[in-house]
Amino acid sequence: MAGASSQSGMKAALSLIGKRFASSLLTLLLVSVTIFVIAQLLPGDAAQEALGQSATAEQVAALRHEMGLDRPAYVRYASWLTGMVSGDPGQSMVANMPVAGVIAERLPNSLLLAALTALVAVPVALTIGIGSAMNRGGRIDRALNIATLSMVAVPEFLVATIAVLIFSVKLRWLPSIALASEEMGWGDYLRGVAMPILTLSVVVIAQMARMTRAAVIDQMDRPYVEMAVLKGVAPVQVVLKHIMPNAIAPIVNAMALSLSYLLGGAVIVETIFNYPGLASLMVNAVTSRDMPLLQACAMIFCAAYLLLMLIADVTAILANPRLRAQ
Amino acid sequence: MIASAFKRAKTLPLSGKVGLTLVLFWLAVALFGPMLAPYPVGAFVAYDVFEGQSAAHWLGSDYLGRDVLSRLLSGARYTVGLAAAAAMLASATGTALALTAAVGGAKVEEPLSRFMDMLISIPSKIFSLVLVAAFGSSLPLLLLIAAITYVPGNYRIARALAVNLAQMDYVQVARARGEGRFHIAITEILPNMIHPLLADFGLRFVFIVLLLSGLSFLGLGVQPPDADLGSLVRENISGLGEGALAILAPAVAIATLTVGVNLLIDALPGRGKGR
Amino acid sequence: MSPFSRRDLIGAGLGIGAGLLLPDGALAASRPRVGGRIRVASLSSSTADTLDPAKGALSTDYVRHYMFYSGLTVLDRQLIARPALAERMDSTDQIAWHVRLRKGVTFHDGADLTAADVVWSLLRHKDAATGSKMAQIAEQFAQVKATGRHELTIRLTGPNADLPTILAQSHFLILRAGTRDFRTANGTGPYMCAQFRPGVRTLARRNPNYWKPGKPYLDEIELIGIPDEVSRVNALLSGDVHLVIAVNPRSTKRIMASRGHALLETQSGLYTNLIMQQRQLPTGNPHFVAAMQYLIDRPLIKRALYRGYATIANDQPIPPFHPYYRADLPQRSLDLDKAKWHLQRAGLTGVRLPVYASPAADGSVDMASILQEYGSRVGLKLAVNRVPADGYWSTHWMKHPLGFGNTNPRPTADLLFSLFYKSDAAWNESGWKNPRFDRLLLEARGEADQARRKQLYGEMQGLVHDHCGVGIPVFISLIDGYDRRLKGLYPVSLGGLMGYQFAEHVWWEG
Repeated sequence: MAGASSQSGMKAALSLIGKRFASSLLTLLLVSVTIFVIAQLLPGDAAQEALGQSATAEQVAALRHEMGLDRPAYVRYASWLTGMVSGDPGQSMVANMPVAGVIAERLPNSLLLAALTALVAVPVALTIGIGSAMNRGGRIDRALNIATLSMVAVPEFLVATIAVLIFSVKLRWLPSIALASEEMGWGDYLRGVAMPILTLSVVVIAQMARMTRAAVIDQMDRPYVEMAVLKGVAPVQVVLKHIMPNAIAPIVNAMALSLSYLLGGAVIVETIFNYPGLASLMVNAVTSRDMPLLQACAMIFCAAYLLLMLIADVTAILANPRLRAQ
Repeated sequence: MIASAFKRAKTLPLSGKVGLTLVLFWLAVALFGPMLAPYPVGAFVAYDVFEGQSAAHWLGSDYLGRDVLSRLLSGARYTVGLAAAAAMLASATGTALALTAAVGGAKVEEPLSRFMDMLISIPSKIFSLVLVAAFGSSLPLLLLIAAITYVPGNYRIARALAVNLAQMDYVQVARARGEGRFHIAITEILPNMIHPLLADFGLRFVFIVLLLSGLSFLGLGVQPPDADLGSLVRENISGLGEGALAILAPAVAIATLTVGVNLLIDALPGRGKGR
Repeated sequence: MSPFSRRDLIGAGLGIGAGLLLPDGALAASRPRVGGRIRVASLSSSTADTLDPAKGALSTDYVRHYMFYSGLTVLDRQLIARPALAERMDSTDQIAWHVRLRKGVTFHDGADLTAADVVWSLLRHKDAATGSKMAQIAEQFAQVKATGRHELTIRLTGPNADLPTILAQSHFLILRAGTRDFRTANGTGPYMCAQFRPGVRTLARRNPNYWKPGKPYLDEIELIGIPDEVSRVNALLSGDVHLVIAVNPRSTKRIMASRGHALLETQSGLYTNLIMQQRQLPTGNPHFVAAMQYLIDRPLIKRALYRGYATIANDQPIPPFHPYYRADLPQRSLDLDKAKWHLQRAGLTGVRLPVYASPAADGSVDMASILQEYGSRVGLKLAVNRVPADGYWSTHWMKHPLGFGNTNPRPTADLLFSLFYKSDAAWNESGWKNPRFDRLLLEARGEADQARRKQLYGEMQGLVHDHCGVGIPVFISLIDGYDRRLKGLYPVSLGGLMGYQFAEHVWWEG
């Protein structure tokens, strides 16, 4: 029976992946259109921003022509889209190099920071969430509750600044800026990103932990759990074997949501620690009106989000037999 | 009615009472704060910047020599008002759409989910940056940005809950009884989602407070001389090194407000009727 | 007397008193020492970072360009043009300028510097495709022609005594002729480009073949941008960087409290000004302008916004420490009665006006708040509209009746007045028109006699003070923070980090 169940789970997961692939392309298209449209609402364009205050009208016109900005908007979008479909995200208007090259420098930094943060935050959040649910109403639960709430209630720039004041300026243990450069060893790198990870963790742990707690508690009052408890199953077993499979859908969803924040939402952390990541690159792209770069960043954030959601849903399906029927 | 509310409040656990007190306190500040402020919000009243506590300035002076207490009292209403309104708007919209999706079948769910995916995958701060640069900063726009930013999150979680509940036996039974889809959504599914959704609402409230302060970091936000609590923290951040009250006071204000809201929500009798 | 007489060298530029011609480091207590590696944090860093001097837009760019390239001339700390790649530069009519280049100067790739490189480097500013920030100024170059391997002639469209000073700006630094690829730098500057990653960092290594013997001193400079001021100061205090630009006056206390760090204050001509559009009412009403000027509490702005790191200004753009400053203009100060009276005369009591401010114009949001506060006491309701820094210059600046601008120091009074105050200037912020001012400006530009120049510029200051629609509250001092082991720093009023040129002058005693 277990074999059959896991087989049907795999099948359901595979068909979900297949369906998702098509709908993901649709979502990406939707995002690119939206980004393009709202970016058109922005005052000024790349040519104007590049030349700055000092530009004369002729200069702006010349540069606009060179950048191809004198073409109608739909033509620009179409040419971007055809490029994208054939695998070429185009040329960055401002950096004067291929978008792929600009992204390639930053993407690994962002992914690494997000992955390390997830590595720290997910286990902590799960432990806190399940732990406080099992102690519902108890002293530990209340203490953890207040702790997570206070953690999330502090603006992240304040967390980051306080951390810098303590660990770099006062104690001098950690560098105040996270410079990711190639001649750096792993030790230096980890020291450099310790505070960015800390700051981002503070932001995401609380949400994940609280959703975990809520989802677990929600299941705890159900008859099947009472049955298991009455049958004398150990509390840890009840949680892991009986509750988690049913609570997993909202939990993994909350986690995926929080983790997707680690890429695009890291802009403040990237700014404060001067970490060369994708979020600040995207802010750059907005302020310099560099459309191809902006689009590429948006595509990456969207794809990452969709992937996380897919992982969340697949996990949920594999864990909960009831969802497989869908 | 007031009496019954009072009776209800008395039955709350201690944490709930603390939460209720904090929430009521901040509501009062939001409503009456500007009247109580000893100085005008933009007045330069202290000779020095980042002054400590004194009889004239209970919470010292800020980075320009303005009275921190006055700015706090005047700023609370932006944070409380904007965050509460945006969180409610986001949660109501998100949950309504999620229920529609859960009972509406694939034809409704697909486009809705794609749309939500699109909204959520654009980083919120960058989204705000673009919108504010395009339309200029105003309170309705900030409200809209905050609401739009947090609708998809609520939708995701509500949908996951609703889909799960829709598979439950009692819902299947109701369906077999021939009850209407929306009737089922509202009477059978929604009440059982309330508790996790309320927890989510509390968090969203916090996130919106933080989003507003994050926006102030990027130079967006409420128009000066007014400032929301997050902006007060941000604009005085250079006083952190000297431990200025000008930064501690609004940070504590944010913490008590958000913790209060969440304590109250957690203490509410969460489980719905009718299962 | 110096080997370059004033007339020979700089025509009649800003050369008041030939200045000390000591080596730059000689004033300092210790002798420069070779070696060491420092990290420098500038203001911003983005994908728009460039190695093309013509495109330089921000302090980070200027610093980077001065590391890798050299100019024909260089400004010393009194802002007097000195010879650099040009050994001599002279003119009898201020129109035709003869330049003789230093011999034996090599680019980083080993090629010799010749007149062809200079001609190409100057003329590219006139090509719209270059996207030069100096295109408007380069329009003055009627002809630039090589007259020998190391000699050339620059012919201007009209007399300009300031040419040597103009050419010292970073945009006019000299490139190898035909350079198209700006992924790395090939210049004649004190450092060579070891790595350039836009938005991340620039790595500069000592150029052993630099044409100034013995210089530079440092082995390596890593230049990064930290846009957030609090982070920048924290990075300095934690020892991660050794020199930072643009310290907020509010952070000075922290730096001064640290034993290992110090501040470098540079009095500069930088100002943030209130713009009252003259082409429309009510802001074009002279009584309104006067009322606003009397509402500015300059000492408060100096104290609260800049903690004293500012010089009180008098609604005209030449700062008190400038050689052409006119000291006898009466100083305007906060006067609510006068403001009220002028407001009544303008018939504007009780009127509500929006004023646009932005973090893009340093301090303008707070200045607007101060104006709003005092305005409310005389019956003027100002509504502060804070708009994002993003897009401010293209969409808001000069587009509203009441707004703010921000003007960086310029090396000459002529540049400042021509760019911002001439009637037909593109950035004539308030849109005032004064034919007398325009005539004086042209006359002063071709005038070689210093005393006469000072008189002409003095009258122009008076005209701006009395009739122009700007309010200039203070000149903002620039503050850098540095590690005390870094030696040889001194202020140059053109900008922070020694007018962006610290790289070749400083040394490390670690």
